[in-house]
Amino acid sequence: MRRIRTSIFLYCGVVLVCALLLFPIYWLFVTALSPPDALQVLPPRLWPAHPRWGVFRDVLAAHPILLWLGNSALAAIGAVALSMSVSVFAGYSLSRFQVRGGQSLGLFILIAKMLPATLLVIPLFSIFRSLHLIGNLWSIVLAHSTLIIPFTTWMLKGYFDTVPRELEQAAMVDGCSPLGALFRVILPVSTPGLAATALYGFVLSWSDYAYARTFLTNAQGSWTANLGITTMKGEYIINWSDISAASLLVALPILLIYLFLERYLVGGLTAGAEK
Amino acid sequence: MHILPRLDLARPSRRHWLGYLLLAPAVILIAFLIVYPLFISLEISFQNVGIVRLDLPHKPFTLSNYTRLFASPDFWNAAWVTLKLVVIVTAACFVIGLGTALLVNQRFRGRSVARVLIALPWAVPEVIAVVIFSWMFDSSFGLVNWLAIQFHLSSGMIAWLSSPAGAFFVICVVMIWKGYPFVSIMALAGLQAIPDDYYNAARVDGASAWQRLLNITLPSLMPVLGVSLVLSMLWVFRDFSIIYTMTGGGPLHATQTLSLMTYEQAFSFFKMGYASAIGIVTLIICIIASRLMMGRAPDNL
Repeated sequence: MRRIRTSIFLYCGVVLVCALLLFPIYWLFVTALSPPDALQVLPPRLWPAHPRWGVFRDVLAAHPILLWLGNSALAAIGAVALSMSVSVFAGYSLSRFQVRGGQSLGLFILIAKMLPATLLVIPLFSIFRSLHLIGNLWSIVLAHSTLIIPFTTWMLKGYFDTVPRELEQAAMVDGCSPLGALFRVILPVSTPGLAATALYGFVLSWSDYAYARTFLTNAQGSWTANLGITTMKGEYIINWSDISAASLLVALPILLIYLFLERYLVGGLTAGAEK
Repeated sequence: MHILPRLDLARPSRRHWLGYLLLAPAVILIAFLIVYPLFISLEISFQNVGIVRLDLPHKPFTLSNYTRLFASPDFWNAAWVTLKLVVIVTAACFVIGLGTALLVNQRFRGRSVARVLIALPWAVPEVIAVVIFSWMFDSSFGLVNWLAIQFHLSSGMIAWLSSPAGAFFVICVVMIWKGYPFVSIMALAGLQAIPDDYYNAARVDGASAWQRLLNITLPSLMPVLGVSLVLSMLWVFRDFSIIYTMTGGGPLHATQTLSLMTYEQAFSFFKMGYASAIGIVTLIICIIASRLMMGRAPDNL
């Protein structure tokens, strides 16, 4: 009897806490579905009287959201591809070789985490300006790599550490070169780790606002999704319904990735802070 | 036969030029994208420059950015705002994060779903979180104002974002909502690493649930909590997007943190030398603060 009562309490507690903490996301959804004039009425309704399911189609037609999403995706894919192609080798090296200075890499990653984006953005702005990259998505690809490389290197090193060395030994006995062993044996068995790491990098890039705001503001055709969303807030009139619908479209890819990534998150979040 | 000297990967102490070769692309990219820019920052923080141009000759060395900085009331205001924000947001993130982690660590059906849901705000981009809360705290038709009136907490509509205290409060709410999932995820990972034997032994000895929490759970979580504490504080310290898109540092500089001040000086007033000096000071504070906190548990660094 007592066990049933505690488990009922437990369920109520879990449901209540989840409802409270996730309510803002629900409210974003409700706001998107409410016609704009229904939002100018008190009391607010927990569910719109006439949900406007067409809002997503309308907002896509009214604003270049697909262009913004495409730019965000291009920048994220570019930054992830660049970061992964150097991090795979670096992570493997740190996992398998004793490289002088390799020990201090953890410290370096921690310092990279402490770097205020607002500090790094100033010299990057002048560098990109002299390379004529301002307003160009390449500036974002490079800038986001500064966010991603420290994480991916550390995550991949951790992942390679869990792959037994006997695998490469066996491959090399069979005549593989060390690089061949990496490509034919280690990388194929590391697919889940590589995917999780790449997706984590994708999330980092997709969520950025500071770099896009600085490098792309004057180039409307290159706006990323987060930058585009902030321009939808008018000076006096704010159409919360449209902004909310657009926000949902922008947040959706990351929410889906999160569902997959949840198991691997800890590795990425603590990158550089653990031994 | 082999181009490479024989390489025995089973021996972890192996030093080999291949190791350096594999590391080289990452090091070169980091050098170009992080170390070199950082060097420029440091350099221009000692120069009186507006908009930095790499093709122009250097300006003369000067300490004026730093002396101006420490004499500026705006800087001390920003430092104070940052400190308040770091303390309030980190503390609240800890209470909520630890609480939710303990909650979904209980045994019940559907807890894997609850674990995913409880940290969902982690996946909401900061700019989107700002959209959500700006609307919830809207001065005319926002939900929060309506609730406050229903529960007789306020007599009229509060213009949250136009009053200094209100804007600071809303920024805290957004940052807590974005920040607690991190602590929750970390604490949950820590909780799962505690062996069940500890609890069984404690139960045999007749320890109450409260005693088990105080004597087993919290001490075992300490290392994880220490790391999360430092990382959350660093995040609050450096965050730019939430405050910039929500209040822009206003009203009356009530939400202007050091990060915001750096950005404003660099890209609104185009005083990049001065801005870099603020950024360098921020970085030094971050390093010292985390060294002090990590220093107590050197294993974690």
